[in-house]
Amino acid sequence: MLEYLPPLNDHNLPYPDTIHPIVVHFVIAMVLFAVVCDAIGYFTRNTRLYEVSWWNLFFATISIFIAIIFGQVEAGLAEPYAGVASTLNLHTLIGWSLSGIITAITGWRYVLRVRDPKKLPLSFLGAGVLLTGIVLFQVYLGDLLVWVYGLHTVPVVEALREASLK
Amino acid sequence: MNPELIDQLGSQLGVNGLPYVVPIHPNLVHMTLGLFIVAIGFDIVGTFFVLEKPLFRFLAIPAARSNFFDVGWYNMVAAAIVTFFTVGAGFYEILLATPDQNVKSAWGLRAMDTMIWHGVGGVLLLTLIVGMTVWRGFQRFIWRKEMSRQVQWSYLAAGLFIFGIMFAHGTLGAQLASEFGVHITADRLLQTGKSLYNLQENL
Repeated sequence: MLEYLPPLNDHNLPYPDTIHPIVVHFVIAMVLFAVVCDAIGYFTRNTRLYEVSWWNLFFATISIFIAIIFGQVEAGLAEPYAGVASTLNLHTLIGWSLSGIITAITGWRYVLRVRDPKKLPLSFLGAGVLLTGIVLFQVYLGDLLVWVYGLHTVPVVEALREASLK
Repeated sequence: MNPELIDQLGSQLGVNGLPYVVPIHPNLVHMTLGLFIVAIGFDIVGTFFVLEKPLFRFLAIPAARSNFFDVGWYNMVAAAIVTFFTVGAGFYEILLATPDQNVKSAWGLRAMDTMIWHGVGGVLLLTLIVGMTVWRGFQRFIWRKEMSRQVQWSYLAAGLFIFGIMFAHGTLGAQLASEFGVHITADRLLQTGKSLYNLQENL
């Protein structure tokens, strides 16, 4: 079975570069911008921004599941060494949780929007602020995996392969 | 940048070559790319609204054509604003970069070529994104104010063309990190002959 898969390259991936960090653009940017649009819309009473927020959330909800699929593939091939595993585990746990949280918030928004697209309760803005906090923390964990631990970078993959040969 | 010049900043910099633990530029890149791509994407959705209308009805999601163009406009404005910071942070961090000099990227480029192309490409993309925003504004508020299809075909085509530049540009940026090891703590430890198991004490 494994011989039908493309061989792993010097990033320890069956394709040229990591895909997860690209797909997460559409979760991070869309969630954060949705919250910004809600806040500006709420305080300036520009209800058009509520629609912009809704469609951004809608797109973020689709994107996060694609992000998780690639995240799982790349985490599985990451060969976490020494202290990395705990950070990777937490990133995985929060990632899956976020899929539920973002879907629930988008579902809530769907109901609010069907009832009256020009009205937004303050509680929803509060949920948005909370969601922003979780997303930023999740981004920070992902940053640690790439920028501190260097998972899937050529030098780290090379060092781990050499170490396993010894 | 010349390591001796960077040494003038001395102890301010960590193992990753930055005065903070993770680089800022790649995080702002999420915003630039996400906002720009989705802006063009929703303008495309708005343009082909007739085709999607039955799908939204089937899903019981109320959808008005003009709202998709609102997303196209506001997301593009946000992309233009945030990209100034993306490029600014990018130049700060590229000034402090000490890439591996002996590496050739998957595209056959050395570190300096990759950094220069990524720097020039960043300014080019900023110019294009701001230009697209101005163009989009003229369509929205003047030329096509009364039209149900708010964007020109040429605008969408330009957007798709810029996706292509972004792909090439983004790959160069990814190579700076994952092949040349720029600002990656683990890679820089390895570059100086240390073990990955020293990582924890160097954080």
